[in-house]
Amino acid sequence: MTLCLHRFNVRYKQSLLGITWALLQPAALMLIYFVIFSVVTQMPSEGIPYPVFVFSGLLPWIYFSTAVTAATSSLVAHNSLMTKVYFPRELLPLSYVVVGVLDFGIASSLLAILMVYYGIPVGLGLLWVVPILFVETIFVVALALLSSAVQVRFRDLGFAMTLIMQLWMFASPVVYPLSRIPGRFRGLYVLNPMVGVLENFRRVVLQEASPDLRLLGISFAIATILLLASYSYFKMEEATMADIV
Amino acid sequence: MVDLRLDNVSKRYRIRNEDATHHAGLINKLRSRLGRGKEFWALRNISLEVSHGETLGIIGQNGSGKSTVLKLLSRITAPTEGEILTRGRVAALLEVASGFHPELTGRENVFLSGSIIGMRRRAIHEKLDRIIDFAEIRPFIDLPVKRYSSGMFVRLGFAIAAHVEPDILLLDEVLAVGDTGFQNKCMRHILDLKRRGITIIFISHDLAAVERLCDRAALLHRGQLKGTGRPGDLVADYLASVEPIREDQPEDGDSALRIRNVQFYDETGLPNLQFRTGYPLRVDLEFEAAVPIRAARFRLQFFGIDNRPACEFFSGPDACLPELPAGRGAIEFFCEEVALRPGVYHVDVRVEEAEGSELAQRSRCALIHVGVGKSAPGAFYSPHTWRLASPVEPGLRPRSESSVP
Repeated sequence: MTLCLHRFNVRYKQSLLGITWALLQPAALMLIYFVIFSVVTQMPSEGIPYPVFVFSGLLPWIYFSTAVTAATSSLVAHNSLMTKVYFPRELLPLSYVVVGVLDFGIASSLLAILMVYYGIPVGLGLLWVVPILFVETIFVVALALLSSAVQVRFRDLGFAMTLIMQLWMFASPVVYPLSRIPGRFRGLYVLNPMVGVLENFRRVVLQEASPDLRLLGISFAIATILLLASYSYFKMEEATMADIV
Repeated sequence: MVDLRLDNVSKRYRIRNEDATHHAGLINKLRSRLGRGKEFWALRNISLEVSHGETLGIIGQNGSGKSTVLKLLSRITAPTEGEILTRGRVAALLEVASGFHPELTGRENVFLSGSIIGMRRRAIHEKLDRIIDFAEIRPFIDLPVKRYSSGMFVRLGFAIAAHVEPDILLLDEVLAVGDTGFQNKCMRHILDLKRRGITIIFISHDLAAVERLCDRAALLHRGQLKGTGRPGDLVADYLASVEPIREDQPEDGDSALRIRNVQFYDETGLPNLQFRTGYPLRVDLEFEAAVPIRAARFRLQFFGIDNRPACEFFSGPDACLPELPAGRGAIEFFCEEVALRPGVYHVDVRVEEAEGSELAQRSRCALIHVGVGKSAPGAFYSPHTWRLASPVEPGLRPRSESSVP
């Protein structure tokens, strides 16, 4: 826990804007996508003003992508620590997940401001955010453990990560709504656990609708199975990680 | 009560030639990555028990597997075969400072490193003052550690590790931290932990330090356990495990002189490589000269295990040896009271002409062990006498200092 707090503290040290960066990054992305998909081309957003529509997708997405990307290199980046001190190795990738949650909290204040500005009503349904984020976190942890352990053996993953995340984003309903996916691809499309997370997040936050529990269930099931698998893989690798890192 | 048990522990490393795969194709790379690679057993079938409150020294040359034992005990890596059982918390006093984050202050790093090695926040809070004082960095504790000198860095790391209060403490050449004053402080601290009944594993190639600190020693040689016993008793085994005297010295054919053999004799006059501080040491330097040699000078050099020169004996110009006759002969070196402190020393022999050009040399021709003899707690021992001075009237002094016999 201390490790996570310090990681959070350290990150913006010796930078002028400090913690504001946690807000600036998603805000800048939102502006870019707003210009591309709302001004240049017309992307339907189910009657929601596009800036807040895309931001509600970017928020959970950025949490996912930055946490997984940072966790991937976490073990390799701390190789000197790993070869000299023993501690439960999963602390390193997990600390980046915690940082991601904190960043999410900060950036969501911007979403609140946008929602007030566009006069989007808020109801009790907002509480659904908690289980949705819980499902997302299971998935993030599963991937963080898996990718950090794989990275110890194959550094290729680190290079591929940016590309993977870019492709993955366009395979998830971040800048467009789920309804744009043709029906015949839907079955395959929803196997991406991020679909259930993003779509439901948007529904409960912006549309005051109840979540699609079937979608969320699929995400939860896949994320949990992956977590069990990647945790046991991580533990298996952990024993000799220090030898090859 | 046994605190620590190693049961038939082996550790295998795979050596992959990572350079060679540089130009190879993707398939080859993948094959070499997933393949078995060359095998190297760093440790083989080690079984060992350490009782509660015992201090065990693990000795052995470089490459004998000492560090691997430490890595296994501290759980940094897992054994390939066998089992390690421990009772209570194990803490390693190795490079804790490697966990420091350069941007954080000293105080923050105490909490960070402390929690990484398993201390609770409250425990760190309680010990914070003692840690800061121990490391002697009170004025700088709120500076980022990237501004620290390397000495401050290491001292803080040691101070944190020293306050973990483990049940089993792993020590690895830690006494090489900081200046002499700080080293003494570390030693006192370790002795204090030992008194309090903490089980200590001390890993070192410094036999003398092991003798000072440990109740029992274990000797490793090329990944195998050669034996355990009283540290003093393992000395002979240790010396035997070290490279034997090399007989095949490079022979310069036209050299006028060749050193044939270097033989050591202890205080009883028997051939031996073990001596004691303050007791006699004799060395016979057997040579073979092609022609008679005038005014040859012999040099006998002793180096500590860290290769620092400890002392040197030189036969000239004051000791002017007579002309060496052609053929075989021997020079006897005799020292009534060896001044070397307890420890292990390498020996070099050199022979020079009067003009200083080298006639012959034997580097690292022996490894000797100096055991505890006459008390020498300082930097060296020196022959001396004590006696009751003749009574003198108060205020009166002898006019000349000719009292030395």
